[in-house]
Amino acid sequence: MNTISVAEGRRSPGLVLDARLAGNARGALYLAVIAAAVGLLIMAFGSPFIVRLMATAYINLIVVVGLQIFMGNANVVNIGHAGFMALGAYFVAIFATPVMMKAVVIPNAPFGMSGVEVGALWAFLISVAMTTLIGLISGLVLVRLAGIAATILTISILVIVQGVLVTWTDLFRGAQAFFGIPKAVGPGLIILATVAALVIARMFKGSRAGVQLRASATDPLAAEAMGVDVKRLRLVAWVLGSAVVGCAGALYALYAGTINARAFYFHTAFLTLAMSIVGGMRSVTGAMVGVALLTVLLELIRIVEGGITVFGIEFPDMLGLSGLMLGVIIVTVMCFRPDGFMGGHEIEEAIAALRKRFGRGKDES
Amino acid sequence: MTAMALEADLGVDEGAPKGPLPAAPARCLDIVDLSKRFGGVYAVRGVTLRCGAGEILGLIGPNGAGKSTLINLITGTLRPDTGAVTMDGRSLVGLTVPQCARAGVGRTFQNIRLFAHLTVRQNVEVAHTTASRHRVGGPELHSIDDLLSRMGLAALAERMATTLPYGLQRRLEIARALALAPSYLLLDEPAAGMNDTESEQLVDLIQKIRDDFGCGVLVIEHDLRFIRRVCERVAVLHMGEILTIGGPEDVLNDPRVIDVYIGGGDEEEPT
Ligand SMILES: Nc1ncnc2c1ncn2[C@@H]1O[C@H](COP(=O)(O)OP(=O)(O)OP(=O)(O)O)[C@@H](O)[C@H]1O
Ligand SMILES: [Mg+2]
Repeated sequence: MNTISVAEGRRSPGLVLDARLAGNARGALYLAVIAAAVGLLIMAFGSPFIVRLMATAYINLIVVVGLQIFMGNANVVNIGHAGFMALGAYFVAIFATPVMMKAVVIPNAPFGMSGVEVGALWAFLISVAMTTLIGLISGLVLVRLAGIAATILTISILVIVQGVLVTWTDLFRGAQAFFGIPKAVGPGLIILATVAALVIARMFKGSRAGVQLRASATDPLAAEAMGVDVKRLRLVAWVLGSAVVGCAGALYALYAGTINARAFYFHTAFLTLAMSIVGGMRSVTGAMVGVALLTVLLELIRIVEGGITVFGIEFPDMLGLSGLMLGVIIVTVMCFRPDGFMGGHEIEEAIAALRKRFGRGKDES
Repeated sequence: MTAMALEADLGVDEGAPKGPLPAAPARCLDIVDLSKRFGGVYAVRGVTLRCGAGEILGLIGPNGAGKSTLINLITGTLRPDTGAVTMDGRSLVGLTVPQCARAGVGRTFQNIRLFAHLTVRQNVEVAHTTASRHRVGGPELHSIDDLLSRMGLAALAERMATTLPYGLQRRLEIARALALAPSYLLLDEPAAGMNDTESEQLVDLIQKIRDDFGCGVLVIEHDLRFIRRVCERVAVLHMGEILTIGGPEDVLNDPRVIDVYIGGGDEEEPT
């Protein structure tokens, strides 16, 4: 087998901690730089259509990163995240929409909400705080369950949130679109938030708590025997993940100006879940790869879906192709790379492995 | 036996205050009249065992004698029906598994249970984090690098734990348990599946661990040659009860012990 050369120098405990932190920071920096560079380049040179596509992709990326924080580290499949995205979006809508608009949109809102209007920033903060609180309450129940039972609870969270949104028409406008939300967020802010989410997720994964949580994901009993409080760590990850996903929902509402409950249901849940799985849910880099891959692929498929002409032959419209292809892509990735594209590795690890393979590992260190 | 039980009784009060009692001898593990039934059958019955400070104590017995169950009772994995377990003067009965670990019970598993997807270093770090945050009054906590190099794993620190050869995985499990700065280390068949050279090295390693880390060691092992070489005292468990305790030579030559081993499950013994 290949032996791995490791710096063997004796290090004091303090230095070891710093090395771990530095490693995490370096990994986070890679992710931040790539996300920022790609986003800014598209903003500078892309057509308005491409910029809009980028903005929605980045919001999806925040969702997938939020998903990674819990799902990737605790190894529990989560489908409820789209519900938290909805909460983030609707809370911000309720607080940020001008009173004049509310007279049209939700004139009979309870708690006198139709007369309340705070700035977009405050609405954003309130929304994320409320979503996080709901994350905390649901998390207290969730961490008591394991495996499939936990996943089923996340599904019921999604269904409950959707049910409340659709039936409580006075506050959420039911199945009708909620419009008139101030468009206070542009692509630049979305890029900034994405970078922040990536850094948070990467630092958490590499933190002491993150390592303990990942240990408990593979063997809870052994982790407990090593003193790990599995429930507490899972709760931390769940709440942090909910906050990040709620943040994505709030940003989306402030970017699009109009939201619709149906946009935060199973379709979105499965699309972002697919992105997470395709990229590799144990890796933050994987979140980025998964979002990029599926966004580009689905966009290409959408072109085909509309009917194209190749060498003079006109292909008919192929509606529903994107759903089919999504399934095919997931199945293919699962067959050839069951751990997703990144297989749990982060970008700096992948780079190091590539360097080694091409024999340039020696002049490092 | 009775004298031992009486002595042990002193520290066994259920409502014993948390934290070490001044009178209690450090790093002792006292087991008094411990019983556990599964259905109607006793897996452990009235076991009283005082594991002394810094002692290497062997625990042998045929398959199904209750050895692993005893470890599970000490670590909080199972709750005893009756009896008491005290370590460093503190009662462990009723504590959860993580609480026992934080109190200084380190263990390995009969079937290796390393953390997959984590490196060798991270496996040790999991326990090290616990010790550095929650452990009070234990032996000195070594750094992760120090632990790895003492266990001969330093060069493999960045390897994925589950890609190590079997013998090294067993070793890593011990290193991980040591990162808790345990008062007592419970090893469930540490030499199982090792070749002669590896188990030879393990004998030296266990003695070195006791000297360097200042913890007591309780070793369960079927390999009687291994037990003879590494232990200062040996306890024999048979059908959940302690048959005898004493020096290795006395115990292993005891006709009752030979009888038990020939009578039950000897066919699986490597010796
Ligand atoms: N969780 C359990 N439920 C029911 N019975 C159990 C359980 N755990 C152990 N037992 C029974 O208790 C008895 C003691 O088992 P234990 O695993 O402690 O034996 P052991 O001495 O470790 O044996 P071995 O040498 O095979 O590891 C056995 O008869 C076993 O079947
Ligand atoms: Mg056993």
